Order: sequence, then C-alpha cells, then structure tokens
Amino acid sequence: MAATLTREQRTAADAEMADAALAASGDGRAFERLYHGHVNRIHGLVRRMVDSDQADDITQDIFVRAWEKLSTFRGEAAFGTWLHRLAVNVILGRRQTISTERGRFLDAADALDGVPARSGHVEMGMDFEEALAQLPEGSRQVFLLHDVSGYKHEEIAKLLGIVPGTSKSQLHHARMALRKYLDR
Amino acid sequence: MKDQWTSRLSEYLDDELQSAERQALEAHLDSCVACRQTLDELRRVVAQAAALNDRSLKKDLWPGIARRIGVSVSPVVHDLDVRRRARERRRFTFTVPQLAAAAMAFLFAGGGAVLMIRGQRTAIGDQPTADSRPPVRLVGLLDSTAQYDASVAQLQQALAAGRGKLDTVTVRVLEQNLALIDKAIADARAALAADPSSTYLSMHLAQTMRTKLELLRRAQAIAVRT
Repeated sequence: MAATLTREQRTAADAEMADAALAASGDGRAFERLYHGHVNRIHGLVRRMVDSDQADDITQDIFVRAWEKLSTFRGEAAFGTWLHRLAVNVILGRRQTISTERGRFLDAADALDGVPARSGHVEMGMDFEEALAQLPEGSRQVFLLHDVSGYKHEEIAKLLGIVPGTSKSQLHHARMALRKYLDR
Repeated sequence: MKDQWTSRLSEYLDDELQSAERQALEAHLDSCVACRQTLDELRRVVAQAAALNDRSLKKDLWPGIARRIGVSVSPVVHDLDVRRRARERRRFTFTVPQLAAAAMAFLFAGGGAVLMIRGQRTAIGDQPTADSRPPVRLVGLLDSTAQYDASVAQLQQALAAGRGKLDTVTVRVLEQNLALIDKAIADARAALAADPSSTYLSMHLAQTMRTKLELLRRAQAIAVRT
C-alpha cells in the first residue's frame, strides 16, 4: 500500500503520524492541525449519518473523544482511518439518543415516494445528497458505511447489530431508491 | 420492472455472488434490458456515492473543542483565512528534518521539561514545506536542536554542581550510560543523514535524545536529594 503512495502523500501521512504523536503527548497545536485536516470529512460523515441539527455537537464529541483516545492510536492504519472508525462508533453510540421523526422503519424505496425526482434543473428537484437524507435511518447508514466509507457487510453488521444479510438487503434498497436522483 | 434477479443486482455489482449465481445472472442480463438498465443505474449510484464531496464548514468548531479538552485556542484559529490555511496544510509535505524537530519537540514535552519550545513547535508545523523554502526548515530544526542542547547543558551543569554528593559507583555508571547514549544519538543521526525519509529513524533519534534528558534529570534529582 505504502509503495503506491506518492512521495507527497507519504510525507503528508508521516506528518500526520508525527502530529498524532505530538497530540498524544498533549500538544494542542498538533491536534488542531489534525482537526483542520479532517473536520470537513468527519462533519460530512456525521451530517449524512444522523441528518440532524446535532451534527456540529457530534463532530465536537468525536474530536474530544479522539483527543482522549489518542494514546490508543498505534499508527497501524492512517490517522484518518483511525479517526473515521472512531467517528462511526461515536455516531452509532449517539444514534439511539437522537430522535428521528422520519420513518426509520419504512422501506427505503417507499420513503422516497412522493418527493420530486431530480429533473434537468437542480432547483426543481432533489439532488443526490438530499435524496440520501430522505432514506430511512437503517438503509442510509448501511449505504453510507458501505458505499461511501468502504466498510464490508460483516463489519457493518457488527457495528449496527444486524446480520450481514440485512446489511446487503438494506444496501440494495438504498441504491434502488437513489437511482432516480442521480446527477445528470 | 422487477424480476427474481433484480434483488441480486447489488450483490452482483459488489462481486458477492457465488460463481454459479453470477453466471446465471449474467446469462439473464444478456436477455433482460430492464435488468441491464437497473444494473447500470446502480453502478452510477455507487460511483456517485464515492464522489460525494465534503463541504467546508461554515462554523469553526475548534474553539469549542479546544475549550473541552483544555487547550488554548490559537489566535490563528480566528483568522478569516484559517480554512484556506487548513486546505493548504493538507497539501503540505514535511521533510524529515521537520519531523525530527517535531518528534524532538514531542519528546521534550512528554518529559515536561522544555515548555519553552511549544511556540517553536507551532512555527515548525505551520511552515509550508515546499522545497523552495529550505532556510525555514533548517531554522526549525536548528532551533529545536539548540533548545535540546541547551536543556542538556543546563542539566549537566546542575549535575556537575551536585556531582560531589554522588558516590563514585553512581558517577561511573552514569558516565558509562551517557557515553552509550551519546553514541546511540550519533549513530541515529548518521543513519538519518543516510536515510532522511525514515520517520522511524527520526523517532528513534528523538527517543534516544529523550532518554539522555531523562537520565540527566534523574541523576540531578538524586544529587539534589542526597
């Protein structure tokens, strides 16, 4: 894997490792650099996973948890990978406390019925991100974890407390529902 | 339109079907326009998911995080330019001298001895690392090294003052250990010079330097207590 990285990517990864080591020793400036390098990605993950006004709060929680857990970061994976996994755990830990008014038990395809599909004009229809936000929580999380974050069904099943078959099924429903909202 | 194969298209796309099922589905696809179209759309959904962009945050969450973890907020955080800096920082490359300097700074901080280099550490981390700026990198490294040398000198001076309080065996062991550590530091520096891209060597050098600092600190503490 490392052999496929460009020199710039490798040195950037090394720099992150050094910053992670500095941060683990209590260096707030190093942690701030890590924060700036990853906050947009983490916030994007949170926003899509929980689709709530609590995205900022949860993002803060994730970075606070990361600061507390930095001593467990061994550098076996990239810092971003470690942080992403930690973020998923925080998000899933919070999901039970987040009240979602949308019908999480609806079938994914049904959930998007009645909403305008994207037409030739963006402003006239729902874009892909908006459609994603309309999916029921379960299929949305599976879709995000699998197709956006690259988790395998077995991992998703463990994270969500479901069986791999359910994860596959939810993923398929989510993809089928999102077909109508592809960017032209 | 749905048929018995529609629900298996995602698994096919993800290469999760058994060989026999895959062959049967492919045979079906040859004759089913609807499934081929659905499969194409599913493929595009997957591609679009992979291409989702992360927006830049409008609100800077760092001050709140910094408050909760008990670190001071850098004034630069409130700079309107901070997001641009963050984006640029992601593209920065760090040289080994910088990493070595950062590692040294980390190790000093870990020992709690050289708080004075905290400001310098920020300067190191914030420096763009384009190869056209060697003076800046060199200054960062030299400053950190100079601060390390100053800390060692200070401890050695304090130890020399209390040396008479230590017994001869302790002094001999101390000197032997310091000689070994100095040799290890010299070896690590030589190895790093030969392989400047090695983060491991950078960290090893820093660790060895820290060991020397800690040994000196302990010896000084013993001398003070005696």
